[in-house]
Amino acid sequence: MGQHYDAIVIGGGHNGLVNAAYLAKAGKKVVVLERRHVLGGAAVTEEIFPGFFFSECSYVVSLLRPEIIRELDLPRHGLEILPLDGTFTPMPSGDYLWRANDHAKTIREIRRHSRLDAEAYEEFSKMMVPMCRFVKPILSMIPPDPTTLNPRDLKQLHFLLQRFRELSSDERYTLVQLMTMSSADFLDQWFETDVLKATMSASGIIGTFLGIRSPGTAYVLLHHYMGEIDGAFRSWGFSRGGTGAISNAIGSAARELGAEIRTKAPVAKVLTKNGRACGVVLQSGEEISADVVSSSVDPHLTFEKFLEPSELPSDFRESVRHYKFRGSSGKVNLALDALPNFKCLPGPGAHLRGAISISPGMDYMERAYDDAKYGHYSRRPYIDMVIPSLTDPSVAPPGKHVLSCFVQYAPYKLASGTWDEQREAFGNNVIETISAYAPNIKDIIIGKQVLTPLDLEREFGLTQGNIFQGELSLEQLFFLRPVAGWAYYRTPIDNLYMCGSATHPGGGIMGANGRLASQVILKNWKSGASRSKAAN
Amino acid sequence: MPLGQRVVLVGGGHNALVAAFYLAKGGFKPLVLERREMVGGGAITEEFYPGFRASALAHTVGPLRADIVRDMQLRRFSCEILSPDPRMFAPTPEGRALFFHNDTAKTAESIASFSEKDAVKYAQFAESLESINNVLAQIVSMTPPAIDKPSPEDFWNLFKTGRGVRQLGKEGIFNLFRWSPMAVADFVAEFFETELLRAAIAARGIFGNALGPWSAGSTAVLLLRAAADPHPIGSAAFPRGGLGSLARALAESAKEAGAEIRTDAAVERIRVQGGAVVGVALKDGEEVAAEAVVSGVDPKRTFFQLIDPSQLDPVFANRIKNFRAKGHVAKVNLALGGLPAFSALEANERALRVLSGRIHIGPDIDYLERAFDDSKYGELSCAPYLDVTIPTILDPALGPEGKHVLSAYVQFAPYKLKEGNWDSHRRELGLRVINTLGAYAPNLSSLVEGMQVITPEDLETCYGFTGGHIFHGELALDQLFTMRPVLDWARYKTPIRGLFLCGSGTHPGNGLTGASGANAAREIIRELR
Repeated sequence: MGQHYDAIVIGGGHNGLVNAAYLAKAGKKVVVLERRHVLGGAAVTEEIFPGFFFSECSYVVSLLRPEIIRELDLPRHGLEILPLDGTFTPMPSGDYLWRANDHAKTIREIRRHSRLDAEAYEEFSKMMVPMCRFVKPILSMIPPDPTTLNPRDLKQLHFLLQRFRELSSDERYTLVQLMTMSSADFLDQWFETDVLKATMSASGIIGTFLGIRSPGTAYVLLHHYMGEIDGAFRSWGFSRGGTGAISNAIGSAARELGAEIRTKAPVAKVLTKNGRACGVVLQSGEEISADVVSSSVDPHLTFEKFLEPSELPSDFRESVRHYKFRGSSGKVNLALDALPNFKCLPGPGAHLRGAISISPGMDYMERAYDDAKYGHYSRRPYIDMVIPSLTDPSVAPPGKHVLSCFVQYAPYKLASGTWDEQREAFGNNVIETISAYAPNIKDIIIGKQVLTPLDLEREFGLTQGNIFQGELSLEQLFFLRPVAGWAYYRTPIDNLYMCGSATHPGGGIMGANGRLASQVILKNWKSGASRSKAAN
Repeated sequence: MPLGQRVVLVGGGHNALVAAFYLAKGGFKPLVLERREMVGGGAITEEFYPGFRASALAHTVGPLRADIVRDMQLRRFSCEILSPDPRMFAPTPEGRALFFHNDTAKTAESIASFSEKDAVKYAQFAESLESINNVLAQIVSMTPPAIDKPSPEDFWNLFKTGRGVRQLGKEGIFNLFRWSPMAVADFVAEFFETELLRAAIAARGIFGNALGPWSAGSTAVLLLRAAADPHPIGSAAFPRGGLGSLARALAESAKEAGAEIRTDAAVERIRVQGGAVVGVALKDGEEVAAEAVVSGVDPKRTFFQLIDPSQLDPVFANRIKNFRAKGHVAKVNLALGGLPAFSALEANERALRVLSGRIHIGPDIDYLERAFDDSKYGELSCAPYLDVTIPTILDPALGPEGKHVLSAYVQFAPYKLKEGNWDSHRRELGLRVINTLGAYAPNLSSLVEGMQVITPEDLETCYGFTGGHIFHGELALDQLFTMRPVLDWARYKTPIRGLFLCGSGTHPGNGLTGASGANAAREIIRELR
């Protein structure tokens, strides 16, 4: 057996790195094992075409916990967030909806579509503030177990109940709705403009296999809305140098704190002895031993690939089998010779600096989902585009641009054919869809990368291509994520922990999962539970 | 308010009749005012074609909560409940079929011909529903707790429920949390692999609602319905003489207890003065004074049509406005010259028995979902999901000798059509049902002698369901329990003093169970005493 560590972190995504950084900060000897040649997992920047740097998967950031930025001193390690200016939605009618970061400007723009909606938008924005304020502490909280009478859990549950009771009646009403409704129904109560509702509801479906009319999507909407009022940034943003720069900053912080980071080190198995994790074996055959193994990869890989079925209780295995991944999105990254020219607002301009959303109507969004339910990619998909090179010229050669298109829906399981057969058609369909709004798109493409859910699985280790390591549906949140009874970063195997997006509070570049997991690990360490001498 | 005072109940649906009974027992003088010529609301028997009578709308009971049946002594009022076995026959177009018997083992046998694994799982599934039934039954019987100032009784209820919940064990508790917000398609897939079985059970989660099996939260509907009857596919029982007999029995019992019931007495206004009710005004101008009014009609009708809008608190009014109550259900009743021959059954004595329960048309999950898809865009389902009964098999008196009545709930028929109105689509709706059934019983169309089509519009105009919703409002996670009909007002009281709700738009609202009426009466008595 090779080296011995206090802790091994499997996977060098942002959560794995955060986890390692905090463990190292506490004085532990940590090694991060990343399968690929680059760090970051799905928060990665790669030069796909010479001179063009793509945030290949995750492309915007807003939820990165301010305490992590502070505690790991990430700006010193190169983290810089540039603002993403609003959302621009072109419409087939030749009109558009452009919500900018400037609130007054947005209100004026919405008034152009509907006076009533402009008023409602003011109220809506005000109402969302206490909603986010309610949910935010939950993001930084280890979920309580509602089934025990343990004082700590009861105290936490009581805390939540008290906070709920402290809300005004209107706030409670809205909060309950956000927790249970579909984003379409929720927004229907506030607004009448179809394109506005469609664009806003889009953030309720990202990364889920749900349509805007599916209950539960209002929560995802809130999950994404929180970024918009985050104290640290107040808006969604790009990371200079792409999202990979975030991972690199965290990695740099971790290294400085003493963590060792190894790339091209794919894990094959988690080693256990007497029901305790005691290390890992790499695909190369190398064995590394440790007191604690913390896995930032998803439950399928952790429990169904790295462990033998016999090592886990059968009811736990069954729960893992029921855990829903169901990737629903793909990514098309384009290297452009020039900027796309939108029919409804020709020429370059600030509207290209924000998100460009292909979400012209509610029925459009719902029909996109209908296709996916039956195993087809959407004939007319929802597309969220950004052109980071306008804000951060370092990611493309001078005068040229990168266009990142997040595409939903692209179901992992196709009704016919394979993704390898359909990749090309899928990519072309996206370009076709965009060209209806920006006809010059086909002429300016000089490079194209299409990532299907299958590619996300194969290349980035996201099972079934789910970008959040498992759906953000109500039955997979909080104390139910990933598995009821095991939502506390622990697993049925002693000294084996989970710290990835499949744990509370879920996906997105938040880092909270890695940080909370480190707290649990360190607490157990203190209590001596982890000091297994059996390993050696 | 002194005892013996008059309480007016608006609408004579089953919940209002149940409430009237308990109010009379509680020492009040309830007066039920029903707009139509007969009581029952959605539970009526009608001659829809010369010589053919049917439970025009609801065709099975919820069933009524056992304590209500006992208290109201319904057996004394000649209301014989017929309980078919099997409860449900679920055919496929290919001529295969599943039979859901009362007996779990017998049902498992039928399932085994599709999948041995599912047969085993079915027993587990039935057991799971059975085991959480205790908790669910407690929840549907209690008044949702007040959030701001919980009463001692609220604490007691929560304690009792909590104790019941703890008895489920860790796994059981987590299951409750996990299942409720789930899509029913996922829920059934956790247990079964046979599509037909999945669909037959999942249908319970979408019945009556604007939900497809892939809609999250549809499992909550299934569980809510299971609170009334834990059998996996629910109740198939109906009273001899149709649902109208049940309504009649409820009315008789309420009358005997001291309630007065008037039909052809349409309430036009609930009169409010200074924030409190003073009585009701009827369409013909008559005014009835009352110190308390209990509305059995849906919340939207109650507050937007029967009450002067200036009397409403705007926040409350806005919440009621947002209460989702767009129906997606229609009903088609057919007068048949003979019994339809289903290709999945051989024509014999057994066929007769098998067809006496409910017939489920919706062979797979995708079928149900596609039926829902059409309705999202304002269209009638190309291939609708049908819940069918042929009541004349067990109750031949409903039709002429040798002839039959076929009664079908049709989903999905959206209240709001994208094009045209329901009057112009009435025939099309009827034909679509006949065609759909024709794939399972080819001789059906040749047997049809007469047809009644009840469109969502009819449900509104004729039955008084605003938006055509048979449950008075969606059974969605955000409209259940402390949120039914709206948060802060889920305890049968309203912001108007002396005005109460007792209809399906209140907790639990889970079909023909009488629970809303009985719960409301309990609160009203407490409040008025």
